[in-house]
Amino acid sequence: MKLQVKFSLYNAITKIAIILVLGSIILFSLDRLAYNQLDNRLIKKKNKILEHLSNNEIDSLLNKEQSFTDYNILKEEFIVLTDIADNQSDSTAKVFTEKREIEGDVEVYRILNYKFSYQKNWYNLEIGETMTALQSIKNSIRFYMLVVLVAALLITLVADFTFSNFLLKPFYLIIDKKINLVNDPSHYDYQNIPTSTNDFKILDNSINSLMRKINTLFALEKQFIANVSHELLTPISILSTRFENMLNTPDIPVEHENKIYSSLKTLNRLKLIINSLLLISKVENNQYLKTEEISLKQEITDIHEDLEDRIADKNITYKADLSKDFQFTGNKALIHTLLINIINNAIKYNVEGGSITISDKAEAEKYILTISDTGTGMSAELAENAFDRFKRGNSEENGFGLGLAIVHSIAKFHKIRVDIKSEEHKGTSISLFF
Amino acid sequence: MNVLIVEDEKSLALEMDEFLSKEGFIVEHAWKKSSAEEKIFVNSYDFILLDLGLPDGDGFDILKQLKATKDRDDAVIILTARSAVDDRIKGLDEGADDYLPKPFSLNELLARMHAITRRKHKLEKNEINVHDFLLNIQNRTVSFGEERLNLTKKEFEIFNYLVLNKNRVVSRMSLTEHVWGDILEVNSDSNFVDVHVKNLRKKLASVSPTDWFETVRSIGYRINC
Repeated sequence: MKLQVKFSLYNAITKIAIILVLGSIILFSLDRLAYNQLDNRLIKKKNKILEHLSNNEIDSLLNKEQSFTDYNILKEEFIVLTDIADNQSDSTAKVFTEKREIEGDVEVYRILNYKFSYQKNWYNLEIGETMTALQSIKNSIRFYMLVVLVAALLITLVADFTFSNFLLKPFYLIIDKKINLVNDPSHYDYQNIPTSTNDFKILDNSINSLMRKINTLFALEKQFIANVSHELLTPISILSTRFENMLNTPDIPVEHENKIYSSLKTLNRLKLIINSLLLISKVENNQYLKTEEISLKQEITDIHEDLEDRIADKNITYKADLSKDFQFTGNKALIHTLLINIINNAIKYNVEGGSITISDKAEAEKYILTISDTGTGMSAELAENAFDRFKRGNSEENGFGLGLAIVHSIAKFHKIRVDIKSEEHKGTSISLFF
Repeated sequence: MNVLIVEDEKSLALEMDEFLSKEGFIVEHAWKKSSAEEKIFVNSYDFILLDLGLPDGDGFDILKQLKATKDRDDAVIILTARSAVDDRIKGLDEGADDYLPKPFSLNELLARMHAITRRKHKLEKNEINVHDFLLNIQNRTVSFGEERLNLTKKEFEIFNYLVLNKNRVVSRMSLTEHVWGDILEVNSDSNFVDVHVKNLRKKLASVSPTDWFETVRSIGYRINC
């Protein structure tokens, strides 16, 4: 998950939590406040009634027992006085909320119930005040609070996102430009990404200095490869020209002639090994360009022409059925080397009268080329190590060690995945995923 | 024809000298860039065999200087063990006539020199006579009198290479490398080349005896003429 998304998620979650806590505290205290207010008013009213209490008053209240304060058509409040038995002891006021039916309308009232004695007579006084108004006020407060809080949440979220976006922009630029998009260290752009955040500056500079180190190493390696090839190949060329001249000396004994020729062959083998190693090093050192348009079909046709006689020599049935003329950009010479190594192996390790099948498959995003043979195959263990340099398939003189190592490094250079499936005495099938 | 070998590795230069002298070339040496430049300034050569890594400078500079000079038509073959990928392209871009990576076979060098000679002096015939056989390099055909032989591409290539190196042994190895190129890890001592030579010989022998086409024991072949 991206850092920015994580930040935004964290912000959203904490804000929602804060709003929930805050909202419930406000609602709770609002409730308490309203009840307190109401209760105080009821108590004040009760005190007022008791203050002005007289026989007349009581009579009028008692008479009105059934009908409520008629001036109050909205039935916002009522006062009920009832005569009760005279042996009461308790005289505390009780406040509670209850539904009452007043003149046919059921409403929720806050009711104060108070028992008192007046001239040795006990009365029960109930003063009620409607809660409907309060309820609706509470509802609208709740509603507006919700709206305001949600709006605040959204606004801060957007602000957060924008700000973190702005804040993290240099970071993502560094990641993209200096890490993700860098294929070739030699074309690395050292320019600093403008930012005022120190941490990003440090990151940027560290990546730059790492890249500088890598580039120095790359250049050193390139120099080293050039030197090594010069140092190794020059003596070989001296020896091989000398041997060639010796071979053309008239009247040398046959025995010596044979020895000279086999020395030449040994030198040639040495040359092939050095050239193979140099090729791998140069590929891994990114010394090749990948700018040519390559037709895979054409390459395979060319290679078949080159290897025709080898195929015929072993009576191998060669079948190359490509459904698609796949084109891609790369290094033609390297791709040629890659394919020729695979196909040559398929011939070399094939049995007399075997077959080689080259087929392809176009998938959604990949093009897969498969080269299968009916050769000697390899054990699972060998197939696993097939790409290791210097591991040898069998005791034959030209092991496939370097051949497959070359295949591996060229494929890697072109970002082609290579899969080997092999079964001993049945054959090998190599798939290339373009 | 005269050849200047610009090569700091003396033993290699001497071997090339020996080989080319036998072929009738007049050979001169230069071990350093400075001496090479002097010699090139004084004389003109049919061939300059140029090593790139010289003790006192880069062989490319010599090439550049030569190509900047008017009226010079010296053919330049770059011979180098330097393995930078772009050297080859650069060399040919700068006007070198050919590029041969070290180690090379002397037979191959000679064949390339012949090819350049033919290319440079167009007046010279594109045909070579070998015991009444006529090789046409341009059309890549071989004919005997009026009769055109039906050779494959590889058979012609083999015949041509042997003819260019006539009177000397051409090893199977050198022949394989010339015909199939430098295919990595491909067995150099294979008998594929023998199969082609056998077919070639059969085709030649069907019209005229080919006792001049010699198999040199286990080594290779030679065309005597």
